[in-house]
Amino acid sequence: MTMDDAFDQRLKAAFADAAAPMERESEADRFTKRVMDRLSNPDRKRVLILGGAGSTGSAIAGTQLEGLFGNLQLPADGLMANAAFLMSPEVMAAAAMALAVGMVAVVLPRRLV
Amino acid sequence: MQAPDEELVALVVATKNPAAFGELVRRHQGVVRGMLHRMCRNHALADDLAQDTFIRAYEKIGSFQGTGSFKSWMCSIAYTEFLKSARKRKSTERVMEKFQTGVEDREAPRDMGSVVDLDRGLATLKEEERTLVVLCYSCGLSHSEAAEATGMPLGTVKSHVNRGRAKLQAFFQEAEVMAS
Repeated sequence: MTMDDAFDQRLKAAFADAAAPMERESEADRFTKRVMDRLSNPDRKRVLILGGAGSTGSAIAGTQLEGLFGNLQLPADGLMANAAFLMSPEVMAAAAMALAVGMVAVVLPRRLV
Repeated sequence: MQAPDEELVALVVATKNPAAFGELVRRHQGVVRGMLHRMCRNHALADDLAQDTFIRAYEKIGSFQGTGSFKSWMCSIAYTEFLKSARKRKSTERVMEKFQTGVEDREAPRDMGSVVDLDRGLATLKEEERTLVVLCYSCGLSHSEAAEATGMPLGTVKSHVNRGRAKLQAFFQEAEVMAS
């Protein structure tokens, strides 16, 4: 509880005066509409961006899968030789793309405020 | 709609009724926005945070226990959103300094009723004092409700409020002396 003396009353009145513009009906309606609009339309832009980036990244990475598995040759000169085959440019491009898509997926959903 | 807050909350929890939640927003937006405006002193940021506060409240409205008032529950969410926003700008102190640049500090205060002078008086308080003075005097929370909203011990809340109040009183007394 606050002390409720004369200064308290003045302080409360000062805060009430400061908040008065927000209590006006038109202002309250405007703010309420903005909140309700956001609730009925939750971050559509972010979903579209994420979905688009994910789809593009997946499509590009998918075209590289053939290179990944096409270069896989089981025991010829040992495992290190196979590892060298796996590091073809196509595989590296696919890995880089997968990393980029992963980072987009992590960063974009975060709120920017 | 004259239903009490608890009834509207129950309606939102049970049916996700948008009209009921809209009524809760309409009833409490003044308190939440007033609180955030006084704490941020940046109207655009305060309104964004107020929107985030109501969105967050809608998402977790099922966790409202009804042990305290809906208003104090909303204020606790608003306080959390304020802290999150401040942390995102690396440190609360840096944020407050940035916001304080919006008000000219050299000019002498004229009248306690002036919003600018109230903000200038609040700027003389430490962050915790300002937060708790705003919660108790602007939002009308009791000390125990403010303690619950901020997670601070009750004794700490009381001393911050009393210190903040004393500083504001001194600030406005000085203003009156300068004016007379």
